[in-house]
Amino acid sequence: MLTYITRRILLIFPTLLGMTALVFFVMGMAPGGIGGTMLDRFGNLKSEEAARVREYYQKRYGLDQPLIVQYGRWLNNISPVGTEEREDGTKRFGVKWPSLGESLEQHRPVSELMAERLPITLLLNFISLPLVYAIGVGSGVIAARHRGGWFDRITSTTQLAMWSLPTIWVGVMMIGFLANREYVKWFPTAGMHDMEAGNMLFLPSHDAAGWHLGYVLDGLWHIALPVVCLSLGSSAYLMKLTRGSMLENMGADYSRTARAKGLPERVVIYRHVFRNSLLALITQAATILPAMIGGAVVVESIFSIPGMGQLGVQAVQARDREVVLAVALVGGLIGLLSQLIRDILYAMADPRVSYD
Amino acid sequence: MTEIGVNSNIAADTTAGRPDVAVKALYQQVLASVFRQGSARTGIFWIVSLVALAVFAPFLANTHPLLMKRGGVVSSPLLRHLTPSDVILVVAFFTAVVLWFFKRVRLTVKAIIFVVVLVVASVTAGMTVRPPEVVVYEQYRNWTQAGEIEWAWYVPVRYSPDDHQRDVEDARLKAPTGMHWFGTTADAADLLSNMLYATRIALSIGFISTGIAVVIGVFIGGLMGYYSGIIDLLGMRLVEIFDAIPTLLLILSFVAFFRPNDPAILLYSVMAIIGLTSWVQYAYFVRAEFLKLREQDFVHAARAAGLPLRSILFKHMLPNGITPVLITASFGVAGAILIESTLSFLGIGLPGESSWGGLLNQALGVGGSFYWWIAIYPGLAIFLTVYAYNLVGEAFRDALDPKLYSFR
Repeated sequence: MLTYITRRILLIFPTLLGMTALVFFVMGMAPGGIGGTMLDRFGNLKSEEAARVREYYQKRYGLDQPLIVQYGRWLNNISPVGTEEREDGTKRFGVKWPSLGESLEQHRPVSELMAERLPITLLLNFISLPLVYAIGVGSGVIAARHRGGWFDRITSTTQLAMWSLPTIWVGVMMIGFLANREYVKWFPTAGMHDMEAGNMLFLPSHDAAGWHLGYVLDGLWHIALPVVCLSLGSSAYLMKLTRGSMLENMGADYSRTARAKGLPERVVIYRHVFRNSLLALITQAATILPAMIGGAVVVESIFSIPGMGQLGVQAVQARDREVVLAVALVGGLIGLLSQLIRDILYAMADPRVSYD
Repeated sequence: MTEIGVNSNIAADTTAGRPDVAVKALYQQVLASVFRQGSARTGIFWIVSLVALAVFAPFLANTHPLLMKRGGVVSSPLLRHLTPSDVILVVAFFTAVVLWFFKRVRLTVKAIIFVVVLVVASVTAGMTVRPPEVVVYEQYRNWTQAGEIEWAWYVPVRYSPDDHQRDVEDARLKAPTGMHWFGTTADAADLLSNMLYATRIALSIGFISTGIAVVIGVFIGGLMGYYSGIIDLLGMRLVEIFDAIPTLLLILSFVAFFRPNDPAILLYSVMAIIGLTSWVQYAYFVRAEFLKLREQDFVHAARAAGLPLRSILFKHMLPNGITPVLITASFGVAGAILIESTLSFLGIGLPGESSWGGLLNQALGVGGSFYWWIAIYPGLAIFLTVYAYNLVGEAFRDALDPKLYSFR
C-alpha cells in the first residue's frame, strides 16, 4: 500500500507539469499574446511611444523570450528548489521560497490573490458537499427501501430532470425571483457579505434596535442560493447512485442470509446493505468535488462571489497569464489529490481491493 | 456484454437480406427497446421537433413576407433572402426524410447518397444563392402603413432574428405581447425568432463537438488498449492531465485566447474546443474494452492473418468495444450543449443573440432589473434539450448495458 501511495504521489508531478504546460502554451501561442489587455491599454498613445512602452513591458515580464524559456522560468519560480535573484542582482541556486509570480493585471502577488480567493471557494464547496451527501444518500436510501412507493416514483422521474437543470438557468431564476424587489426579496443578490458586515458582531445579537444577524448568519444568508445552485445536480446524481447500489446489495446473497437468520429489516438494511453500498459512494466524492469546484466557476460568476472561480474567469478575460496558471495549478491539484484520497479510502473501506 | 455484442454481430451478418428470420441485429433490438420506453420516446420527439424547427426556422420566423403583391407585382421576398445554408439545410432534411422511407436500401448506400446530395447542394447553393447584402426590414411595415401592399402572406412569427425594429420607438426589453409572443431582447429583436434560429447552434454544437470527442477518444483509447505497456502508461498520463484540469477553465482559456472575430469561425472553433477537451471519457471506455479484447481469439486470428493494424483496430475490435462509447456519447451531447450555453452566458462563447445561453445572459439587467421572459424561455429551451438527450441516453444505457448500472 505504501509503495502504491508513493508511486501515485510521484505521478502527480508529471501530470501537473503536463497540465500547466498545456495551459501555458495555449495562452502563449494565442494571437495578441499574453497580458493582451494590459498592453492594449497603451493603444491611444502615439505609435512610437506605444511601441516603446510595449517593449518595456515585454522585457520587464520576460515576454520577449521564446515560450519554452518563459515556461522554464515559471517552473523555476514555483519550485522550492531553483535559482533565485538576490537584491544585489546576483543569482544563487538552492532552496528558496516558491512564488506564483505577480498578476499582470492587478500588479499584486498571485499568492496573495489566491489566499484571498481560495478559502471562499473551499468554504462554498465544503458547505455544499455534506449537504449533497445528506440529501443524495438520504433520499437514495429511502427510495431503495420503499422501492416502487410514491417517494421512489417521484424521485426517479425527477432526478434526471434535476441533473439536467442548467446551473446558469437555476442561478438566474433564483436571483430573478427570490432576490428581486419586484417579486420576493428573501435573499441578497450578490457577494459574500453585507456592506456593513465589518461592523457586525460575530454571532447573532439583540439590542434596542432589535435582532442583528451577525457575521456568521449574514454569510450563510448570502451563500444560501449559491449553495443550493451548486448542490442540485450532484445530489440528484448521488441519489441515483445510492439507490442503485442499495438495490443491488439488497438482492445479494448475504442480505438474504441475514434476513433468513431472523435479523430485523432495519438491521439488514443499515448494518449490512448500507455499509456495503457505501463503497460505490466513496469513489464518487472524488468525482463530485472537482466537478463542484468547476461548477463554482459558474456559480461565483452569477452570484458575484469573489472566489477562485470568478478570479479565473476574470483572469482569462484579461489574459492575465500568471493568475490563469495559478488557478489551473490549484484546481488541478485539488482534482488529483481527491483522486488519490479516493483510491486510498477505497482500499481502506474494502479489504478486497489491493493495489500491490 | 462483450459476448452479446459478438453474437449479435454474427446474427446480423447471417440474417442480412433475410428479413423473415426471427433473430434481430443488436441495433434493432436496442432501438426497439429504446422506443418501448415512454420517456425516451418523449425525448426523441423533442429532439426531432427541434431539428425540424432548426431546418425550417426561416419559414417560421421572418420579417420578409412569403408572398406579397406590391405595385401589381407578385414577389417572394422571403425566398429571395434565403442564405445558402438555409437552402442546404432544407435540401438535406428532405433527402434524409425520403431516404428514411426506402427500407430495403442498405444503410451505407443511404449514407453515400446523402453525402453526395449534400455536396452537390452545397456547391450549387454556394454558387447560385445570393441573398441581397443590405436588408431593410422596416420597409414592409412602412409599405403596409402606406397601403402600398395589396396582399401579403406572412410566416407565423413576423420578425427576423436580426430585425432590431429601428422604426418602432422603444421596442427594447418588452414583455410578451400579441405581437411578440416571447417578448423582445435588449436589442429590440424578437425573442422567439432568436430562439428558433439558436436551435441550429445548439443542435450542431452538440452533434459536432461530441463527434470530434468520440473520434479522438476512440483513436487514443484504442491505441492505448491495443498496445498497453508504455503507450498505455503515457496515454494514461495524458488522460489524467485532461481529467485533472478544471475543464471549464481550459475551455475558457482556449476560447478567450483564440477568439476569432468572424462569428462563423468562432462557432467552429467553439465546437472544436469542446470536442478537444471532452474526449477523455471515451478514451477511458475504449481503452478498458480493448484491454479486454486484445487477448481474445478473434484478435489473434486477425493478427495472424496479417491484417493491417487499421483493420484489426477499427473493423474487428471497435465494433465489439463501442457500446459504452455510444451510451456516453448521448450524455456527451447534453454536456456539450450545457458547456456552450455556459460559455455564451459568461460572454466568452458565441455573441449574444445567436445562442440560448447568450440570450439568457440578458435576463439580469443592471440595477437589479429582471426580465422574466428572457430568463424563462431560453432557459427552458436549454433545460428541455439537455433533459431530452439525457432521457435518450438513459434509455440507451438500459437497453445496451443492463449490467453496467443495474437498477432493477
